[in-house]
Amino acid sequence: MNKNILLYTAILIFGLAAPFVFPAFKVQLSILCVLIVLAITWNIQGGEMGYNTFGNILFYGLGMYLCASVQVGMFFPLAEWTESGGEKTFVHTPAQFFQGMAAGLVVAAVVPTIVAGLIGYAILGLRGHYFAICTLGLGVAAGEISGGIEIIGAGQGFTTPPFPNVGGLEARGEFFYFLSFGALILTFLAVRSIYSTRFKLILNAIRDNEDKAEAMGIETMKYKIIGWMVSAFFCGLAGGIMGGLVGYIDSTDVAFDGREMGVFMVLMAILGGKGTLWGPVIGATVFHIFKEGFWTFFLGWQYVALGILIVVIVIYFPEGIMGWLREKYPERFGETIDEADRKAQVELK
Amino acid sequence: MKLNKLILSFISAIAILLSTSVVSFSKVVGDKIVLGAAISLTGKYSSNGVHTQNGYNLAVERINKMGGVKVGGKTYKFDIIYYDDESNPKRAAQLAERLISQDGVEFMLGPYSSGLTKAIAPVTEKYGVPMVEANGASRSLFTKGYKYLFAVLAPANLYLDVAIDLAVEKNNGKPVTVAMAFEQDAFSQDVRLGVLDAIKRTGSKKVIDDKLPKELNDMAATLVKVKQMKPDVLVVSGHTKGALTAIRQIAEMKVDVPMLAMTHCDAAKLSKQHGKNSQYALCASQWHKSLTYKDKFFGSGKKYAKDFEKKFKYDPPYQSAESSAALLVFKDAFERANSFDKKKVRDALAATNMQTFYGNIKFAPGGQNVDKPMVLFQVMCDGSGKCENKVVAPTKWASAKLIHPIPKWSER
Repeated sequence: MNKNILLYTAILIFGLAAPFVFPAFKVQLSILCVLIVLAITWNIQGGEMGYNTFGNILFYGLGMYLCASVQVGMFFPLAEWTESGGEKTFVHTPAQFFQGMAAGLVVAAVVPTIVAGLIGYAILGLRGHYFAICTLGLGVAAGEISGGIEIIGAGQGFTTPPFPNVGGLEARGEFFYFLSFGALILTFLAVRSIYSTRFKLILNAIRDNEDKAEAMGIETMKYKIIGWMVSAFFCGLAGGIMGGLVGYIDSTDVAFDGREMGVFMVLMAILGGKGTLWGPVIGATVFHIFKEGFWTFFLGWQYVALGILIVVIVIYFPEGIMGWLREKYPERFGETIDEADRKAQVELK
Repeated sequence: MKLNKLILSFISAIAILLSTSVVSFSKVVGDKIVLGAAISLTGKYSSNGVHTQNGYNLAVERINKMGGVKVGGKTYKFDIIYYDDESNPKRAAQLAERLISQDGVEFMLGPYSSGLTKAIAPVTEKYGVPMVEANGASRSLFTKGYKYLFAVLAPANLYLDVAIDLAVEKNNGKPVTVAMAFEQDAFSQDVRLGVLDAIKRTGSKKVIDDKLPKELNDMAATLVKVKQMKPDVLVVSGHTKGALTAIRQIAEMKVDVPMLAMTHCDAAKLSKQHGKNSQYALCASQWHKSLTYKDKFFGSGKKYAKDFEKKFKYDPPYQSAESSAALLVFKDAFERANSFDKKKVRDALAATNMQTFYGNIKFAPGGQNVDKPMVLFQVMCDGSGKCENKVVAPTKWASAKLIHPIPKWSER
C-alpha cells in the first residue's frame, strides 16, 4: 500500500509540475490527458465488458458542442454567434468565460450520460460485430446531422469563445492543462473505485459469457447500460475540454472525429492492454509520444509510420503492453506460479 | 507491487524525454527570419495545400535571391518551418501552438482553407503573433475582432455573387432561377451566403439548395434535380474535388444548364483534366495571370505564371499566387517596421498599402483585403481541343466575351 501512495504522489507531482517544468509542451500534455480519459473510458466497454464500441466518439462530440453552446448561449444569442456573416463581435468577460465553461462542462458531462442511457437501452441488446457496426453508424450519423444544424454553425463550424485577457500569455495553456489533468484524475479515480467493486466482476462476466451471466441471475442489460453511461459521462467531459482547447469545432473533423479520435481511443487501449486499469493510461501515453514523434521526424510519412506501429502492436503485442509485461513478469502482478505444477503441465503436453 | 516500479520508471523516462527535446530557437536566427506554417500536405485539401506551399516557396526563393529583407541596416533571408496539418482543424490548432511555443516562431503564414485558418487564428491572436494568410476567405474570420490576422484575399461571400448579377444581366435584367450545391465547409458555406444575398438583391429564386458532403465524390442526386427543374444558373462550390466532380458528372449525365458557376476551377486544373467537358464553366478567382498588376519581384502576372510553370511544371492557380503575395506583404511590413518586434510588425502590416503582381493589398480593420476585386473567368476551348481560362468579368479586366447561354450537349 505504501508503494501505491508513493506512485500516486509521484504522478500527482509530475502532473502538477509538468506545465511549469515543460511550458512548451502544455498543449501536448493537455491532449495527452484527454486521450487517456478516452482510452480509459473505452476500456470499460472494449476491455472489461467485451463490447467493442466505436460509438464513444458520439459522447465526446456531443460534449464538445454542448459545452461551447452553453458557454456562448448563457450570455449571448447563440444563433448570432455562429452566424457566419454576423457583423457583431461578442466578447466574453473573464467571469462570463469561466462561469460559462463551468456550466458548459456540467452539461457536457450530464447530457451525454442521459443520451447513452437512452441509446444503450435501444442497442445494447446487440452483440459482437453487430454492436460494433451499429455504434460505428452512430458516430458517422452524428457528424452528418450536426453538420446540418444552423444554430451550432453547421458546415461553417463553431468558434468557441476566445480565452479572456487574464493572466499572462501562458494562462490559457495552464487553464486547459489543469482542467484536463483534473478530468483525468477524476476519471481515473472514479473508474478505479468502480473496478474495486462487484461491478467490474459483472462486466467481466458479461465479457466471458453473457448467457451464463444472465443465467446466474445478473441483469446484464442494466449493467451494460450503466457501464456505457459512465463512459459517456467522462467522454462528454473530455469533449467539452477539448472543444475549448482547440478553439474551433468542426462537425466531422473535430467533434465527431470517428476517423481519428474514434479509432485512436481503441488503438490506445489495445496498445496498453485492454481489460486492465493501467493499460489504457500507458497505451495512450506511448501512443501520443510515438505519434508526436512521427509527426516531427517523418513528415509526410507519419501515417505510414503509424500504420506500421499498429501492425507491430497487433502482431507482437496482441495483449498490449500490460499483457506482455504480465506474461513476462507474472510475479510483479502479484500472480504466483506453482513451478512444479507448470512443469507438470508442460510435460503432459 | 513491483509493477509500481515499472510505472515509476516509465514516468521518469517521459520526464527525461520531454526535458531533452525542448528545441526552442528564436524567430530570427543569424541572418534568417523564420516563419511558421501549417500546411495540408495530406488529407482532403492536400492538392491545394501543395499549391499554397509552392506559392510560399517560390516567393521565399525570389525574395532571398533579390536581396532579402533589410531590417536595421542588415539583410535577412526568409525561411519557413512547415508542418502537415492533415487538413484537420484540431491538428492545425495544435501545430500553431507548437510552432509558437516550441519552435519559437513569431511570425506565421496561413494554412489552406477557411476552416483551418479559423482554428489557427485564436492561437496566433492569443500570443500576439502576426499571421498573413492567403487562403482563408470565410467572412466570419474578419468579424471576430482579430488584431493579428491579415488576409491578402477578398472574402468568400464575394466569390460568386457576381455570377448571379451576370445571369440577371443576360436575362435582360429579369430575375433568374438558381440551383445551388455547396460543400459543408466553412468556405463553401460562405460562398453560399454571398449567392443568397445576390439572389435576394436581384429578386431571383432559388430552386435547389443542396449540401454536399466533405469527402465529395458524387453529386448525381443534385444533378438529377437540375435536369428536372431546368434552372437558369447552377452554382457549385466544394474546393477542388467539388469542381472535378461537378464537371465529370455534368458531362456524364449530359446536364444542360445555361450558366454553370463554380470555384476552384484553376486549382483543379479543370481545363487540363477534363478538356472540352469543362468548356463554358464560369469560375470565380482571386487572381488571373492576365491581370495587369505589377511588382518588382515577379514583374507581371504573366511573368509569374511563366516562372511558376518553369519550376513546378503546371500553371499557377490563384491559391499559389496569393500565397506568394503573402510573403511580399511580410517583406514590405518588416522593412517598414524596421524591427522584429511583433507589435511593430503588426502595426506595419495594418498600414500596408501596396501593389503586387497579384493585386493591390490594403487591409480593412477586420484584416481582409479590401483593395482587390474578384474576377470571373470562363473555360474556353479552341477547335483543336486546347482549353484556356479567359477572364470575362468585370469588364475592366475582361479578355474575352462571356459565352451565354451554354450550348446544349446535343449541339456540342
